[in-house]
Amino acid sequence: MTALISAEWLRLTTTRLWLWGSLAALGSGGLVGLLAIVGPENFTPPLPGLDTAQGTLVLIGLLGLTTFAPALLGTAAVASEYRHRTITTTALFAPRRWTWLAAKLVAYAGGGLVYGLLTAATAAAALFAAAAIKGVTLGLPATTVLALLGRIALTMAVYTLLGVAVGALLRNQVTALVVVGGYFYMIETALLLIPGIQALYPYLPGGATAALTGSTYLAEAVADQTGTAAAQLLPAPVGGAVLLGYALIAGAVAVAAPLRRDIA
Amino acid sequence: MSDWDIAVRGLTKTFGPVTAVSDLSFGAEPGTVTGFLGSNGAGKTTTMRMMLGLITPTSGTATIGGKRYADLRRPSATVGAVLDSSGFHPSHTALDHLRVYARMGRYGPARVARVADLTGVSAFAGRTTRTLSTGMRQRLNLATALLGDPRVLLLDEPSNGLDPEGIAWLRHFLRDLAAEGRTILVSSHVLGEVEQMADHIVVIHDGRLVTAGPIVELCGTAAVLVRSPQADLLKAWLLGDETGGAGRGESPREAGGEARVETTQPGALRIHGLTTAQVAAVAASRGIPLHEITLERPTLERAFLHLTGRAR
Repeated sequence: MTALISAEWLRLTTTRLWLWGSLAALGSGGLVGLLAIVGPENFTPPLPGLDTAQGTLVLIGLLGLTTFAPALLGTAAVASEYRHRTITTTALFAPRRWTWLAAKLVAYAGGGLVYGLLTAATAAAALFAAAAIKGVTLGLPATTVLALLGRIALTMAVYTLLGVAVGALLRNQVTALVVVGGYFYMIETALLLIPGIQALYPYLPGGATAALTGSTYLAEAVADQTGTAAAQLLPAPVGGAVLLGYALIAGAVAVAAPLRRDIA
Repeated sequence: MSDWDIAVRGLTKTFGPVTAVSDLSFGAEPGTVTGFLGSNGAGKTTTMRMMLGLITPTSGTATIGGKRYADLRRPSATVGAVLDSSGFHPSHTALDHLRVYARMGRYGPARVARVADLTGVSAFAGRTTRTLSTGMRQRLNLATALLGDPRVLLLDEPSNGLDPEGIAWLRHFLRDLAAEGRTILVSSHVLGEVEQMADHIVVIHDGRLVTAGPIVELCGTAAVLVRSPQADLLKAWLLGDETGGAGRGESPREAGGEARVETTQPGALRIHGLTTAQVAAVAASRGIPLHEITLERPTLERAFLHLTGRAR
């Protein structure tokens, strides 16, 4: 198994994906810095400034909205095995296909964590630098900021797993990307508008994500719009476990169904 | 049975209403190159993918040394396979591709360098796979298949896209591998090519076995083609027909020949069991003019078309 994991890591680091991944991570972290320099007080509508707890939380929450990006990278990576038909050779070298998927999940969990840490580190540096440039102090203690960013990094690792599992499940790169992207951009937000579903929100990927990242921004916005009380989010570790559960279910379904299909 | 025997028994695969492979049985032995022949769509690729566990058979078994591919202890060290001609990540270099699969199979850098040298991949190891020609891709496929130094090789149309020089190289390469005692099964629809490298052939048509055996037996012997304005008379003499007045000169039968003569068209004969010299001697002794006399060498193509019922 270690050989398979090591091979998947090599596959990941020798394609261009790691380059795009690094750029995306640096970009999303840098964007937070840019927004911090502009200052939440200058947003439309104006939000509390960088020197307030709320203002800092808004910026960290925005970073939390980019957690789907590594999921897309994970999805693209697995689906590309089918697209470029390397799956044939891969299945020859690892005929028991679950071993191959398990190795991918482990390797990409590592890749997702690196992505998350890179994003979080860039965002942290950018936030503190922006505050220094503007001559203010962040509205939250440094330890709190770092802890929240760390949770986002962890969320990104879990999301990468989710992306890998969905990619293995759907196999078609475009379909998989549309499903993953579409879900986080549209479907879940739309679901939130249905009162019955709203109670389930804490257990949906987005709700579990919000619990893990500590961002209730979206849930509260929806509650504001619909005039209902925001659903109570799960504790962060439980939220993480729920997300991990989704990834494992998708992985298990991928092993049970599509991976058994003929590779013709 | 040795550990390197290929055994296919009653293999059947249906895709919905279509039967791709039907009750197919054959074998391949170490030290030989077995040509797996059939026209496009005959079921060659489906069969090879079933042998490698990529496609699940509807019924029947395909084993290597008595074991299914997926049950082999180290599959890539036992069987090497060349299937897709283009299963590469486009931004990988040829060397990246080899290194990824070497890691999967736990083969070291020395082995990567060795197979790259053996197959000529070294010459373009640093190029990304999207820039490789079809011939280079086939060499890279072969290098990947050889990573585990397998004793059994399954190659699906490996010469596709190779130039004549590449085909000659492949032929010698596979012959050498067989001489080392490996079992080699190579599918092709280019018969002339298989003829030059295979010891045994397996012919399938519409997913069914047509014939299997040593290539020399299946191709048969040479024939003599003759054109003559008195073809019917010559035929009678050659067959030692009584009315032809055998007895003068050397009759074919006395020469030990078991002659078979067919009239392929008016004025043209195909003669089996006699040499050109014997046919010419009979014609000369009877004063029969010959407009043409040719030795028709046996070809796999001829045998194949005959076997698959498409002989002209």
